Amino acid sequence: MSVSNAIDQPAVRPAAARNIARTFWQTLGRRLRRDPVSILCFGFLVAIVLMALFAPWIAPADPYQVNMLQRLQPPGTEGFILGTDELGRDLLSRLMYGARMSLFMGLAPVFIATIIGGTLGVVAGYAGGWVNTAIMRVMDVFYAFPSVLLAVAISGSLGGGVRNGLIALSLVFTPSIARVAESVTVQVRTQDYVEAARATGAPAWRILMTHVLRNVAGTIFVFSTSLVSVSIIIASGLSFLGLGVSLPEAEWGMMLSSMRQSVYLAPLNSVLPGVMIFVTSVSLNLLSDGIRSAMNVKG
Amino acid sequence: MAGFIAYRLLYVLPISIGVSLICFALTYMAPGDPASSIIPDDASPEVAAQIRAAYGFDRPLPIQYLLWLWRVLSGDFGVSLSTGRPVTDEVIPAMMNTLSLAGGGALLAAFVGITLGTLAAYRNGRLSDRAISAVGIAGMSVPQYWLAMVMVAIFAVELGVLPASGMGQPGDDFGRTLSFYVLPILTLATVPAGIIARSVRSTVSETLQQEFVQALEAKGLPAWRIFLHVAKNAAGPALAVIGLQFANLLGGSILVETVFSWPGTGFLLNAAIFMRDLPVMQATVLLLAMFFIVANLLVDILQMLFDPRVKSARRG
Amino acid sequence: MDRRDFLKTAAMTAILPSSTAVLASNQPSRSVRPGSELKIAMTLSDIPLTTGQSTQGAEGQRFIAMTIYDALFRWDLSQTDKPAELVPSLAESYSVDKETRTVWTLNLRKGVKFHDGSEFNADAVLWNFDKLVKKDAPQFDQNQANQAASRLVGVVSYKKLDDYTVEVRTAEPDSMFFYRVSAVYFSSPAHWKALGGSWAAFAKTPSGTGPFKLESFVPRSRANLVRNAEYWDKQRVPRVEKLTLFAMPDPSTRVAALLSGQVNWVEALPPDAIPRLKRSGINIFSKVYPHVWPYWLSYAEGSPFLDIRVRKAANLAIDRDGMSKLLGGYAKPAKGMVDTSSPWFGKPTFDIVFDPAAARKLLTEAGYGPGKPCKITLLTSQAGSGQMQPLAMNEFVQANLNKVGFDVTIEVVDWEALRARRSEGAGAKSNRSVFGLNNSWSIQDPDFGMLSVTWSKRIVPKGNNWGLYQDEIADKLCEAAVNAFTPEDRDRTLSDLHAYIVSQAMWIWVVHDTNPRALAANVKNFDPPQNWYVDLTQIEVG
Repeated sequence: MSVSNAIDQPAVRPAAARNIARTFWQTLGRRLRRDPVSILCFGFLVAIVLMALFAPWIAPADPYQVNMLQRLQPPGTEGFILGTDELGRDLLSRLMYGARMSLFMGLAPVFIATIIGGTLGVVAGYAGGWVNTAIMRVMDVFYAFPSVLLAVAISGSLGGGVRNGLIALSLVFTPSIARVAESVTVQVRTQDYVEAARATGAPAWRILMTHVLRNVAGTIFVFSTSLVSVSIIIASGLSFLGLGVSLPEAEWGMMLSSMRQSVYLAPLNSVLPGVMIFVTSVSLNLLSDGIRSAMNVKG
Repeated sequence: MAGFIAYRLLYVLPISIGVSLICFALTYMAPGDPASSIIPDDASPEVAAQIRAAYGFDRPLPIQYLLWLWRVLSGDFGVSLSTGRPVTDEVIPAMMNTLSLAGGGALLAAFVGITLGTLAAYRNGRLSDRAISAVGIAGMSVPQYWLAMVMVAIFAVELGVLPASGMGQPGDDFGRTLSFYVLPILTLATVPAGIIARSVRSTVSETLQQEFVQALEAKGLPAWRIFLHVAKNAAGPALAVIGLQFANLLGGSILVETVFSWPGTGFLLNAAIFMRDLPVMQATVLLLAMFFIVANLLVDILQMLFDPRVKSARRG
Repeated sequence: MDRRDFLKTAAMTAILPSSTAVLASNQPSRSVRPGSELKIAMTLSDIPLTTGQSTQGAEGQRFIAMTIYDALFRWDLSQTDKPAELVPSLAESYSVDKETRTVWTLNLRKGVKFHDGSEFNADAVLWNFDKLVKKDAPQFDQNQANQAASRLVGVVSYKKLDDYTVEVRTAEPDSMFFYRVSAVYFSSPAHWKALGGSWAAFAKTPSGTGPFKLESFVPRSRANLVRNAEYWDKQRVPRVEKLTLFAMPDPSTRVAALLSGQVNWVEALPPDAIPRLKRSGINIFSKVYPHVWPYWLSYAEGSPFLDIRVRKAANLAIDRDGMSKLLGGYAKPAKGMVDTSSPWFGKPTFDIVFDPAAARKLLTEAGYGPGKPCKITLLTSQAGSGQMQPLAMNEFVQANLNKVGFDVTIEVVDWEALRARRSEGAGAKSNRSVFGLNNSWSIQDPDFGMLSVTWSKRIVPKGNNWGLYQDEIADKLCEAAVNAFTPEDRDRTLSDLHAYIVSQAMWIWVVHDTNPRALAANVKNFDPPQNWYVDLTQIEVG
């Protein structure tokens, strides 16, 4: 799966100097505005997010309303713009509601991993010595598993479900984020201004907060964005294997899996959830590309 | 350089111990009775207790871990709970099947990725470059389980030109055997092909901008000879990315193998998870992780042979 | 065998109904089409254990144990218009001591040979019993014991009376012994010894007395069997040369394999694929069999199902015809544990129909209503043997129940976890909030199917009474059933028991699977029996 790219080639270049860091977000915004592809993807993703947030108000039907007489109606059927699923539920409404869980499962593990991995990496990088060794070698152990394998193994052992999926995916992403954070921190630490601050006897936490973190945050952010699409794909994959959300929650991977056997009766309906995963993932990747090239980070 | 290689080799040891601990722990995180899968529905409490004891599930966990590690080191992964066969007999053939699939996928991905990536680099910024980049992005964004489903629906069910699943029979002729590989390999190759294409594109285009290329052009060297120089320079990073993709395919093929009922490690692991077959789970995860470690090691060493500078950028 | 002899010996005490032991059939020729091969896609993810006692439940027995091996009794699968009954197989007849009712005399069939040519006799029977329960016997095999040691629970001793007679003693009168021992399969002692006493070697080249011989197999992939032309029952010599079994757990994969000609027989079809298969000239077979897809209810403290009105309401809330539609028509609405056509159905006073209004009313009487729904959690698995399409079906039930005033949470775990939770019982901590367990159930063996889930003596871990169901009348009826040593008594006691538990709405019964199978156009002579097993020896491929 596409985890590989992002994880194995950490962009080990700090967001350059301090003055850039200060204006990181402005710079990013300004540069992205000049990239039509990024704008398009950003717009599309905003639309998906809005669709997810406002699903209860904009969905044409109740996504959980079962109607056996209307099962697997083709897209374009009166009353069902995208047709119905294997229990006769409105597919469009389910895709809208499904976006909630799918996006959540894409964003939440990356967010958690960014907080945990980022903290571990910065601490390891700043402290050095045995602290660094202890943290980073443990990370290395988790890093020694192919990511999909680790996700499936952890989530499968824990018995599936959203919570266990979150744990599994967070564990998968933490080591790579920690690695990036650590290597950037090591570089920042040796810069003159940090050395100077240390020489004045400022407490470690203040140096971390004021000097290190703001320089490191941008790089971690850029790296983390590239993981979101991977997270969505793996999370849906877990649901597809039966290790994901609980019933009757709509989620794209789960929908794909439950309609898999309907592919013979209604091929179009059955592949729609997969199309959603695909399109979202493409947009995320393109946007993350845009961010990388805008911030001059090598991928 | 020899020092780095020695360090890198030695470092595999503690990592492997850590990995083995995780593999063991993984299977015990499961809620419920580890022996549930082998205790039949109509077993009496006495029979159930006897079964638990026979498999050592009544011992303390650290003891179980050490016993397990000791046996693993002597090449014995125990006996599958669901089939009663030695786990080694199950995992090794599965590993071979996964390797052949991952190998095929990596080769195809490398071919497609290098071709597209190089083309794109030469067409830098033009429409075809953008088109190829878009294809690359699309390739790496595809949920493979979905692609597998679509492929089966089209080629096996509707057109009926390719087998839908499995590996065929021992007596099959070469062509038929090959036909079983087509869909899984195509599916498996999409993501790495996209990634390789992007990586090759950036490496080649960087190389093309280097001074020596301009110098060669100024000398009036024919394009294909310049290309050879470029290729030589870009080979290291490309090889690294291909190696990593191959390593990833080993673990990443779980979903694809499941859809195609390909009798490899992914399929085995999935079955083992749902059958709560702990020895098979442990062995599969451990072997895949070890392969992954070795593959990463080789990539590191190879990459360093091509370009000693990477030592400073890639640690441990 | 001589059928009259069997009836004579067994007449006084036989549970075998006399009407079903039809072995003298008039099938004419046993010619086999050269190269004919039956290729079956199983739902299993692996080839079951081949040493005798197969793994992987009923499907493992269906395809491995019952093809390579024989048991003392077997299901008569030629009678397809009613549930199958047991008939003698390696035992020619048996009798039970009338005084104690605990001494069983088994008369073995003579002239039966294992695939390796050695003879089946009383020593082979004892040797095989030992392999399952005698831990210090050299042939004791933990793997096989896991599968079948429980089949000999309650047996206190067994001994040889002569070369073809074995005596078995049980601790208590137990008419159900008969069903249990029918799942003990006999491996060849001589072959095992010839292989140096290794079950691992035996697994690769097994030797039983069955109608097929195993030629080779690839774990997790396929098993190649060939016909045993010297099979002792001339009516059951296979009509195909080869039988190949494929492990294909994924339903879509099985369908695709059939469409591409890789297999010519598919088990457990996904209903949505059936129209597509029919278009390709593939034949679909299905019939109701002793299977039920229910919710086992919890009688633990705090369970709303302690109130019979809530149990009845839940039963009345479910639109079983709608469920049948979801399953493409390949499921029969259930009115109890067994189908109405079963001799064990009886005359329940509670008719299970779809009546949401009545359900709502009952719930109101029980103290629930708008604003105060009856909150329940139901536990199911994401797949598993006999679970049909658990996710879609549970979503459907959830919608049905919520409509009449329940508030249903569905908890999904994997199949093994579900089985583990079942063996812990409704009173266990893990099941504290779970009031219903969706675990499909087999009722062809009445001891396992009905007594072990109903009797208070069989509350977990002593049996499968997960819900802690305890009812004096039910207990008495169970007691009567194990003391029923004639077919008439057995049917009468079981139908009384069944009528009672249905009247009590002991569980929520939803549908009976009709187990759709798909057979390529050239696979002939298959009429599905009302049983979990099928007789592959009668199938022709032409």
